Amino acid sequence: MKGQPPVSPRRGAGHRGLLAKMAVAAAAASVWGPSRGLGQAGLLLLRRTGVRGLARSQPERQQQQQQHFSSLDDKPQFPGASAEFIDKLEFIQPNVISGIPIYRVMDRQGQIINPSEDPHLPQEKVLKFYKSMTLLNTMDRILYESQRQGRISFYMTNYGEEGTHVGSAAALDNTDLVFGQYREAGVLMYRDYPLELFMAQCYGNVSDLGKGRQMPVHYGCKERHFVTISSPLATQIPQAVGAAYAAKRANANRVVICYFGEGAASEGDAHAGFNFAATLECPIIFFCRNNGYAISTPTSEQYRGDGIAARGPGYGIMSIRVDGNDVFAVYNATKEARRRAVAENQPFLIEAMTYRIGHHSTSDDSSAYRSVDEVSYWDKQDHPISRLRHYLQSCGWWDDEQEKAWRKQSRKKVMEAFEQAERKLKPNPSLLFSDVYQEMPAQLRKQQESLARHLQTYGEHYPLDHFEK
Amino acid sequence: MAAGAGTAGRLLRLRAAGAGGRWRRLRGAGVPRGFLQPASAGEDTAQSRRVAHFTFQPDPEPLEYGQTQKMNLFQAVTSALDNSLAKDPTAVIFGEDVAFGGVFRCTVGLRDKYGKDRVFNTPLCEQGIVGFGIGIAVTGATAIAEIQFADYIFPAFDQIVNEAAKYRYRSGDLFNCGSLTIRSPWGCVGHGALYHSQSPEAFFAHCPGIKVVVPRSPFQAKGLLLSCIEDKNPCIFFEPKILYRAAVEQVPVEPYSIPLSRAEVIQEGSDVTLIAWGTQVHVIREVASMAQEKLGVSCEVIDLRTIIPWDVDTVCKEECFLNLEAPISRVCGYDTPFPHIFEPFYIPDKWKCYDALRKMINY
Repeated sequence: MKGQPPVSPRRGAGHRGLLAKMAVAAAAASVWGPSRGLGQAGLLLLRRTGVRGLARSQPERQQQQQQHFSSLDDKPQFPGASAEFIDKLEFIQPNVISGIPIYRVMDRQGQIINPSEDPHLPQEKVLKFYKSMTLLNTMDRILYESQRQGRISFYMTNYGEEGTHVGSAAALDNTDLVFGQYREAGVLMYRDYPLELFMAQCYGNVSDLGKGRQMPVHYGCKERHFVTISSPLATQIPQAVGAAYAAKRANANRVVICYFGEGAASEGDAHAGFNFAATLECPIIFFCRNNGYAISTPTSEQYRGDGIAARGPGYGIMSIRVDGNDVFAVYNATKEARRRAVAENQPFLIEAMTYRIGHHSTSDDSSAYRSVDEVSYWDKQDHPISRLRHYLQSCGWWDDEQEKAWRKQSRKKVMEAFEQAERKLKPNPSLLFSDVYQEMPAQLRKQQESLARHLQTYGEHYPLDHFEK
Repeated sequence: MAAGAGTAGRLLRLRAAGAGGRWRRLRGAGVPRGFLQPASAGEDTAQSRRVAHFTFQPDPEPLEYGQTQKMNLFQAVTSALDNSLAKDPTAVIFGEDVAFGGVFRCTVGLRDKYGKDRVFNTPLCEQGIVGFGIGIAVTGATAIAEIQFADYIFPAFDQIVNEAAKYRYRSGDLFNCGSLTIRSPWGCVGHGALYHSQSPEAFFAHCPGIKVVVPRSPFQAKGLLLSCIEDKNPCIFFEPKILYRAAVEQVPVEPYSIPLSRAEVIQEGSDVTLIAWGTQVHVIREVASMAQEKLGVSCEVIDLRTIIPWDVDTVCKEECFLNLEAPISRVCGYDTPFPHIFEPFYIPDKWKCYDALRKMINY
């Protein structure tokens, strides 16, 4: 085409044969204006496909270079963007006053707002939502206390965010791979990870599948497709994208879901993950729990744009913002994202707005940076558990008696698991040395033997009584 | 204007012994094209044309692996990658510019042969490349990631050290990324300066959970790379870029493997032990000849090959401290970033190694 620079073949360039022929025809003709030589049909086709739609072969390019350049059509030709020219100097104003709207299904009293958005889930399923969230809440209370009492070294609660876990987990297939950050225990709870194993990991006892290697709440479960948590933030994001790419290649019809907080979204790994997922067309759901705080850092100090959802379109990613305290909104969004991510091999970004009711962890006292009133508002006025309870009650599927009975039963279950976990021994110290590599290197075996010898002489100075022999 | 000037960008002439003039694009390196002048006949060759600091010594043709073909080091890498993708349908290769064949031509032809879903470019982001590779490996598929220059591996340091290396251990062996291999061009090249010459293996040498490997030749490179890809632990494979074209020898066409964590004694000796890896092996080979010739000293020459976990037993047959007759001498670059114009003075060339050996003999 006259007046247009050579373009390398692009991925997805279509209509090659026809347009190549037209390009040669146009170049051969002496063209001055857009309507001559090409014909209206040709021009229409050119406008529709744009420059990127033209595949170039060498002879055409040379022929075109020999022609006199003139403007065939005053459209931008840059490979880097598909856009029109503008002759007015205008900066785009980021819109943070009226940001991306927040999708919700229930109001704060648990009433369905728009009946066509009600997922109409069966009673059994909704009860499972409720019981998962409340059981998690009960477990959190007991384990937080146990840390205060020095029984475990560390704990992180999930208060206020139970809806984000359960709503999203319920919308996935059981075999969908989960990469979490550290505040997604409800996903495991929904997948029926037993209390015994939650406790085993926190206590680092012999039943811990992780072999006591990590701090509490760093859960992992191969059987339930929940990749073991690690402490560094956002590292899981590009990993989840790689896993999704592999799932796509394997035609597995699986989605990968990747959870992270709004603070972790500031990390370079988040940017990396988003960009890779979009360019490599991966079936992945990015699920951001925007809970208002990264330890003590409020969102006003974390970002200046319209949250995390607004970043998605910048990468070419379908994005939505939802009410994270509305378990049905979370469910609906995740369900649809999953369906499309797998069908269309593209990433989806869900930003679930919520509030971290608890402290960041047992090492944090959040009264140092936020008011008791603020926390109390969310606990009392907009809590995922109470909103769902109102919904259940209005359906006639739950009442105060059942509530009382369930609270007692769930507490009993947790206490039993807790007491059992307490009584168990820790794993044998020789397990300090395995799994560094698949095979144990000779040098490491020597170190293992050296520790064994050391303990024979100095064992009294070590807490051997708590460990398996 | 010089030939090839039609290609946009900055081009530097890569000179290495036996290579001839070649145009090579180095990221970020720039020489204004208008200043190229022909070298005059009588000019001092040391000024306009630097000879490499080593002479590549090919090993004898290997006979036990079937038919061989003359290959240079990048072709040996391509061959290894070709074998891997042929054998393992889950294997994929990715990184910056690998699709068209790679800036060092290590992946030429592979995309056409195996498809764009298996050999593909990623965005320009090393932490993403390694993180993405870890994720592929977590599902059990084989991930072969390329970092364009070892100098650029640092953004991926967190993913390598905090994630890849610890994946199996921290999960109690529930998960691992053992099928990840990271390949990267490594080491001095004559003009690479700070950011195209680095040898960062020491940063990874104390990180349990990964393996780090550096080959000295095309035959070694193919066998060691195949071992890394097969190995059930995440591996980093550093490829001495100065050897990509300079090192040529007979390499088996079929796959074969050279064991990891096993050093090779390439020359027996009784007086002094010389240990090196990568390009430097050829330097110390020459030093061993010089020592024999000028000092009548018999040197044992060892190629370490795997940096971590390293072959302690071959290097010191027992705890050797009491058996040494002289302190161990380390000859390496100075504690400065890798300089450009000063490279001939910076590198641990054969004269510096020879001098250290001489002092050691006279200790």
